Amino acid sequence: MIERVLVLLYLAGCVGIGIYASRRVLSSGDEYWVAGRRIGTAVNAMAIMASLASGGSIIGVMGLAYSRGIPATLALFAGAVVGFPLASLLVARPLRNFGRYTITDFLAWRYPSPIVRLLVPVSIVVAFTVYIVAQLKAAGITATALLGISYEWALVIATVVFITYVSIGGMIAITWTDVLQGLLMLIVVVGTAVAVTWRSGTPFELMREATAAAPELGSLAGQDVSSTLGFFVIWATAIPVIPHIVMRVFTARDARGARLALNLAMVAYSVMILAAVLAIVPVGKLGFPGLEDADQVFLRVMASEFPAVVRGVAVAAVLAAVMSTTDALLLACSSALTHDLLGGFFKWRLSERRLALLRVASAWVVGALALYWALSPPALISRFYTAGVGLLSAGLFVPTIAGLWWKRANRAGGVGALVAGVAVYGLTMTGTVELGGAPIVLALIASALAMLLGGLLARPDAPGTLAAVAALHDEAGP
Amino acid sequence: MRRSEGLALAFLIVFSIVSFLPPWRELEVAGMAVFGWLMAALMLVSPALMLLVFRRGGKR
Repeated sequence: MIERVLVLLYLAGCVGIGIYASRRVLSSGDEYWVAGRRIGTAVNAMAIMASLASGGSIIGVMGLAYSRGIPATLALFAGAVVGFPLASLLVARPLRNFGRYTITDFLAWRYPSPIVRLLVPVSIVVAFTVYIVAQLKAAGITATALLGISYEWALVIATVVFITYVSIGGMIAITWTDVLQGLLMLIVVVGTAVAVTWRSGTPFELMREATAAAPELGSLAGQDVSSTLGFFVIWATAIPVIPHIVMRVFTARDARGARLALNLAMVAYSVMILAAVLAIVPVGKLGFPGLEDADQVFLRVMASEFPAVVRGVAVAAVLAAVMSTTDALLLACSSALTHDLLGGFFKWRLSERRLALLRVASAWVVGALALYWALSPPALISRFYTAGVGLLSAGLFVPTIAGLWWKRANRAGGVGALVAGVAVYGLTMTGTVELGGAPIVLALIASALAMLLGGLLARPDAPGTLAAVAALHDEAGP
Repeated sequence: MRRSEGLALAFLIVFSIVSFLPPWRELEVAGMAVFGWLMAALMLVSPALMLLVFRRGGKR
């Protein structure tokens, strides 16, 4: 009973924040999409951490470590962590100085073409809908395991709550709820890790004991290099261009604040992931060997080691992880549909009032679709959403980085790189074409080659465009 | 890009490449492949290094 009360309080708090924020945001695109560009460094850092730390980062990371071993799992998450320094060095300052809302805005400005205006938002909606489904599964299995309510009801409740506060509260509601959710996740995961390690001795003793009983936990045996490398590269190259992180760069007060926030967020995120993988997973492997659904390991540890109150807080923490990422994904999907597709590609010109209604409606449509799909979810959520993120990385990384840093980058190269990356990743990932090697590496190579050919063979961009790109790199902005 | 930022970027790329070299997949410390420990170290070192670089850059 106490667990349900805690979770209800938490959900009511999120909706309350959404309603409060709606008074400020519904009248302005700048307020709705990027919180008026005045989020401070510490708040932004916690919000970035919470946005990245999804249900996959609590349920999924431990499920993956349990089933595939700790080293391969750390490769995936280390890739994400390395992606943030890359983002802070390569894109944070120029994109913050660019001063618009979405990654599509930048790419469509740098490579003016209807293909860019169409393909980028469509890829975002496809990839993020998959990502949202994975998050909803995490919410459902957590509530079922620890609260005893049905998977379907858990999905419906969580979905209605986060769509409500995202659709009416925009980026401000997301930022405030993310700070609350990030703190909750850190406290629960790190606190659990400290508690279980304390009972078992030192972390090294715990690891030795667990790997002696289950050697596959610490080993890379049976893991081919290309898949481990593929996981690492997907996340390292996705972070600098992934829309829900890029939108956080746009919310920062200035470029320096954006850069600091990205790296502060990663310090907290790394501590949380390492606590989960190096302490909670070994305890789970020792206590519950042979779990059929590896994603259950955290929940089984919580259910066996802690009293009802702590379990209630743990459910709230997993829901927080799910919702803090899903809300940002939903906002990114909503912006891709309304701002990028309807406003950018189809050139709809609507009044501010109609735009506000459209933003709310698009969030509900995407959320409802994801909910429908999540009712019959796939196994092993980390792998599933990593494929979706790979699609974005394959298509957006080379055009974005080259567009900012290579003077020969031009429209032909940018469009070619985008199409080649998405096509090669899609074909190799689905097994339609078998080339050998990690699909993301092949896709990035194809994308880079297309950029190179376009840049060297096609007409260069006008000097005015190059001067505008150069101005984005100035400390004070253009 | 400042020189210190370029050097930090180069360090992270080299660290990542070295971590994926074959010997670290077989060697074990405390029951886990050294590759796993290197990934764990990378997770802590990379943001800490960037914070140092940006902090120094901000003071100039």
